Amino acid sequence: MTTDLNSSNVGTTLHPEPHGSPATLGNPASLEGLLVWLSPRSSESFALTLSHLNQTFEGQDPGQGVFVATPGYDAAAIAADSFPNLQTLPVPASSLSIANRFITAADYVYAFQAMQDHGAKACLILGAESDSLSPASLLKLGVAVLAGNVDLAVPYYQIGSHQGLVNSAILYPLTRTLFGAFPRFPLSVDLGLSYRMAERLALRARPALASLGSEDAIVWPVTEAAINNFTIVEVPTGLYSSPQPPPTDLNALLAVVLGSLFSDIDAKATYWQRVRPLQPAKAVPAAIASTVPWPDVQPMLDAFRLAYTNLSGIWSLVLPPNSLVGLKHLSLMPAERFHMSDALWVRIVYDFILAYRQRTLNRGHLLGALTPLYLAWVASHIRLSDSGEPPEKHIQNLAAAFENDKAYLVSRWRWPDRFNP
Amino acid sequence: MGQQIHFALSQSAHRVLFKLASILPGLLALLAAVLLLTLVGALLAALLSRILIAIKFDERLSRSHTVASMTNIQDWSPSHSPAVLLTRATFWGCFVLGVIIGILSFDAAYSGSSHISMLLLPYVTHLVGATLLLIAGNLIARFLSRSVLIGAVNAKFQYARLLSLGVKWLVLVLTTAMILDHLEIGGTIVDLAFGILFGGIVLALALAVGLGSRDLVSRSIENSGPRPVEWPTSKDATSHHQEDKKAPSVESLHHF
Repeated sequence: MTTDLNSSNVGTTLHPEPHGSPATLGNPASLEGLLVWLSPRSSESFALTLSHLNQTFEGQDPGQGVFVATPGYDAAAIAADSFPNLQTLPVPASSLSIANRFITAADYVYAFQAMQDHGAKACLILGAESDSLSPASLLKLGVAVLAGNVDLAVPYYQIGSHQGLVNSAILYPLTRTLFGAFPRFPLSVDLGLSYRMAERLALRARPALASLGSEDAIVWPVTEAAINNFTIVEVPTGLYSSPQPPPTDLNALLAVVLGSLFSDIDAKATYWQRVRPLQPAKAVPAAIASTVPWPDVQPMLDAFRLAYTNLSGIWSLVLPPNSLVGLKHLSLMPAERFHMSDALWVRIVYDFILAYRQRTLNRGHLLGALTPLYLAWVASHIRLSDSGEPPEKHIQNLAAAFENDKAYLVSRWRWPDRFNP
Repeated sequence: MGQQIHFALSQSAHRVLFKLASILPGLLALLAAVLLLTLVGALLAALLSRILIAIKFDERLSRSHTVASMTNIQDWSPSHSPAVLLTRATFWGCFVLGVIIGILSFDAAYSGSSHISMLLLPYVTHLVGATLLLIAGNLIARFLSRSVLIGAVNAKFQYARLLSLGVKWLVLVLTTAMILDHLEIGGTIVDLAFGILFGGIVLALALAVGLGSRDLVSRSIENSGPRPVEWPTSKDATSHHQEDKKAPSVESLHHF
């Protein structure tokens, strides 16, 4: 199974699209030593996931096969009868992650502890919606890290073109530009980890877990793998549906995720400031052509214009005059011609990262002030896609724009007081 | 008569000069104590700074402490450096010590029968307290007004700036009243004026929010209450069809 990986350090390799039943994907005996860690979820969801995994690991000898750790859920009583292919391990519950949406520091620490306790060679961490992934995809993730030459297997979810927009606008371009890591979903909730990768992540997560109130801190596996020169592969996992937070949670979630990413960038500055040859982007599968009409951009534009009239004073503390002029033009632009250039969005994100580092203003305020600008980018992206440009092409162009302007970030990081028009 | 006036005036002048002369050593002692302790503070801060840089204090702290506690320290540190925080704390600690010692020596320079120190010392203490209140009030007002402004803008409130200004002035009025009360200036007039101003701002804010949210509240009541059964007309059917054709709202986007 692993001969077709063609993996390279830090770079991304796409597995071929998984087809067929689990039985055709390889010898189930090769999964020996795999620990499956389920992130916290409801009891009903646990039962569903176990049933799904039971089907996935059909034919596996439960005596020496796959361990399934079910934090906070005692599945031992029912596993013997209902899930004959699984060997369940009730383990202490990790923290309930932020709305059960991301893998947290506690997950990494406890998962590695379980790996040590049961002599596992690799670990598959599955998020709350892993049921929507096909058994073949799950097997691919597990097999990839068990082979020994891959440290981190990240899924490539097939999602709709107006899904995962925070990822497309900020997370993916930044991790690609700064860390040279190409996974399209760097904050994936399903991951395959080799032993040393799990150890590394647990080491990274332990201080956060020891600190009161930070046990649900987000750890970034892709950036961690990149700085340790570990091998990352990207595994297409087919259709995926993720639960969405209520719209009112957008501000809070955006602040948590971006705050965590900006902190990670700050902590790893010595790595990404070094000049690194950028790897050419691999061909990636196109997003699903959406049958749903594009959402109305007017509410987002209204939010942006309201923010422009009220928050321009705060933005002026963070953004240089050039970007402020760009935002002024945007605020006056009619909805039908609304377009935020990639260059402007790149500068906005970079200047917010710099302001986060320099603590130009309170970090909570800073991230709150970014939300309307992000909504303006979403409106512009939707307008562009509506006009016929493939959304994925726009996102790849945006990532390239981030790469081309990396020198600006490095320069202002090193000399923040230099004149910046 | 003239001699008596001259005598009374010379006696008064003599008493004033005597008082001034008795204050001068105390003032000199105060200044000397402040200057000396400031100098000591500067020397100690410089020495401490060199030692902390030599032992790479910031790097050691960031390695040994947990992420959260380190972040908390850095939040309060100038230039994100706990070493700078320590050196500055040392300097200002010495300065405050100098002021205290100076005031004590100023007090000691007086005879027990003098009432000046009894009046002056508490007032100086109150003045320091009032200055701290002023600084804290301004910082809190700015922080809260920004928090409200950003929160209200993200919640798409049209009157976000008004809310933010209202909160800012509430805190500033409260701070001013506390400072005046602390300095014992104005007596009951301050209490009365503060009550009127504070109440006025709260009322104005409540009216603004209430009037501004009228549509929001009425929509919310309409949505939560039982709806009367309405038979659709052909016009309604057309408009519903058009609504169906309209794109979904921003809520249908998946940001994560």
